[in-house]
Amino acid sequence: MLKPLIFGLALALLALVAAGTAGAADGEVAEYTIADATGDWGFPSPYAHYSRGPGYVRMSFIFDTLVWKDDRGYLPALAEEWEYIDAENAYLFYLREGVTWHDGEPFDASDVVFTVDYIKGHPYQWVDSAIIESAEAVGDHAVKLRLADPYAPFMDLVASTLPILPRHVWEGVTDPAGYRDGDALIGTGPFSLADYNKAQGTYLYEAYDGYYMGIPKVGRIVFVKVSDQTAPAALRQGSVDAASVPPEAVFALEGAGLEIIEGSYDWNAKLMINHQKEPFSDPEFRRALAYAIDRDGLVEITLRGEGLAGSPGMVPPDSDWYNPGVEAYEYHPDLARDMICDLGRAGAKVEILVAERGTVGWPGSRAAEVIERQLEDAGLVVTLRSLDGATLDSKVMAWDFDLALSGHGSLGSDPDYLRRMTLEDTLNSARYADNDRLADLLEDQRRQTDEDRRADMISEAQELYAEDLPALTLYYPRWYWAHNGEVDLYFTRGGIATGVPIPLNKMAFV
Amino acid sequence: MHVSVWREVARSNAGKAGLLLIGAMVLLAIFAPLLTPYGPRENTTTPAFSRPSGDHWLGTNDARQDIWTQLLYGARTSLSVAFGVALLSGFISVLIGGTAAIFGGLYDRFWMRVVDATIAIPDVIVIILVAAYLRPNVFFMILLLSALSWPGGARVIRAQTLTLKERMHVSAARTFGAGPSHLLLRHIIPDLGPILVATMIQDARRAVFMEAGLSFLGISDPSVMSWGKMMQYARVFTYLEVWKWWLLPTGIALSITLIGLSFIGFALESALDPRLREREVGHDGGI
Repeated sequence: MLKPLIFGLALALLALVAAGTAGAADGEVAEYTIADATGDWGFPSPYAHYSRGPGYVRMSFIFDTLVWKDDRGYLPALAEEWEYIDAENAYLFYLREGVTWHDGEPFDASDVVFTVDYIKGHPYQWVDSAIIESAEAVGDHAVKLRLADPYAPFMDLVASTLPILPRHVWEGVTDPAGYRDGDALIGTGPFSLADYNKAQGTYLYEAYDGYYMGIPKVGRIVFVKVSDQTAPAALRQGSVDAASVPPEAVFALEGAGLEIIEGSYDWNAKLMINHQKEPFSDPEFRRALAYAIDRDGLVEITLRGEGLAGSPGMVPPDSDWYNPGVEAYEYHPDLARDMICDLGRAGAKVEILVAERGTVGWPGSRAAEVIERQLEDAGLVVTLRSLDGATLDSKVMAWDFDLALSGHGSLGSDPDYLRRMTLEDTLNSARYADNDRLADLLEDQRRQTDEDRRADMISEAQELYAEDLPALTLYYPRWYWAHNGEVDLYFTRGGIATGVPIPLNKMAFV
Repeated sequence: MHVSVWREVARSNAGKAGLLLIGAMVLLAIFAPLLTPYGPRENTTTPAFSRPSGDHWLGTNDARQDIWTQLLYGARTSLSVAFGVALLSGFISVLIGGTAAIFGGLYDRFWMRVVDATIAIPDVIVIILVAAYLRPNVFFMILLLSALSWPGGARVIRAQTLTLKERMHVSAARTFGAGPSHLLLRHIIPDLGPILVATMIQDARRAVFMEAGLSFLGISDPSVMSWGKMMQYARVFTYLEVWKWWLLPTGIALSITLIGLSFIGFALESALDPRLREREVGHDGGI
């Protein structure tokens, strides 16, 4: 099955390369092919792409934000400079002059004002429009955004996430998610979309000559669907230029002359705990679970050492916001057994829900087996139940479970994720509001614009979270990408936009 | 007129090969704990993805478990599901097919429509749906697979019973006043033997295949070792060399079991169908 697939792919790419090399300039990359295991991430307009990281990345090649990020920090994009006006609780953005949309129309402040107004009328999945009270143009090339409340993560979660829409195109659009005209993909970004095939999961981008930072150095970017298992072979044969690769393939690929980049620990595998249900509603019982589970052992066995053991405060140890003082719950089976015994819960029946997913490091039945044994050592009677991913998610959402293995990313972005993953009523969130102090801290931290004070609040929140353990972070897997070095790929500091941990920052191609 | 099934099977080459293969598998499954020092889910101290060695005949997998051990314990699951489904589904087939043929009328028509309906249902989808609500363990798997595989057998048994019903000795018994239960138990079922075994073997083969397929899809008890699950895990690491002693042996073990059962089934079919029978003397044509 493998060979014909690779062969077919190689053939298709060969044809593409033959077509693409004709117009290539010296020292530049004519065409760059990126493998993706899923393939289709939706039509890459801001409202139509799938609501996950890779969908956003595909959109970001076409649409620009006011500010962007690279591996070091913020970068001017549509806005050249910006300042925070304390007295007005507003951000003033000085826009770049001479920027044109892909159709040649000039970009100005009215587009930014229009975009903000538009997301108020048509909620945009990545930015909460309630944060911005109003947008007002100050001349043609400056915009003042007034905030409803002080909002610490504004630069990350709004300024470098919100794609600016062309007013002259979107003005009459009432159904943005269904809007698929050719004009729907007019942006100011470095690339425009030449082809999108939903069934094949392929995207073809072409460089936009009028880009304000100069003509991009990569002429065409191609996304093809290649499974994680075939990606290492495809990389070695040169039929793809970059791909996410499993840790076990890294050594061999390095030997074959490919460059390897290592991501930060932005994703966590998480043990969801039904804290609405006895005996899990007792924090002491949840703490006993934490002592019973050997998180280092889990990394050793299920990730073969390619990851970090989870911090009970959720924030990964490589983050600037990490509080090393949180209770560590070192593996202590005897203590766990005693605690469970003291609570009168010895022999309690516990069911763990588990699903298999393609993500590297996803906690599947391997992890479940290990946890099952460890909880049984601690005196519980454990059964595993294997489900498909969607069923597991819906059971967790409906509080119809004891324990479930899940996971989510965003841990590299603004620490507001601690609030979202604790209080918000969403799938990956622990949905835990029993601790008033924790809830208040999490709500207040985002209004705290003083960085040091905010860091203190985040630190304390981690301690409280670790004390109450509404969910338990098991580990952070290490992710690798391999590429042929033609383009210098890097992981964005804090992740792209709200924290997408994918090294396909459009600036690498410019 | 009785066909001695086992003599027929043991005489044909396919039958011999089939019995040998299945016999070997059964022995490996039964004596699994004696054939390996490890537990099926034990994380050994040998590094992950080790090559085959004296300590680990088929190397170790990603979680440092001994692959040979898993293969042996996987045989237990496959064979117990096969055995369980064959027995249960055979029982239901006789019960429904046999009684439908004897009683006839509305009862017969009702059950035959149920058979038609059940055959039309796509198995895998039903199982996936049911597994979402119930906990799929081995026992559940046997029940579910039986519930989905009895109709084929019931139809065959019914047809066979209909012809048996008209046989001389059955008519004779009936004239002497034998009731339906006596007819079924004393005259029909003994003569159904060969065809029943054939349907049971077919059910068993299907069960092995379905069980492997379902655990490959992740619909099984995660704490039970199974060939399907081994393949599911092994598939993820096909870019490493490890597939040679992980995926391949598992596939071979599964194939051997399926081929063994097919051979036995084939030999049985030859024994039952005069058209398939090799030119031989000493039989009266049977059916």
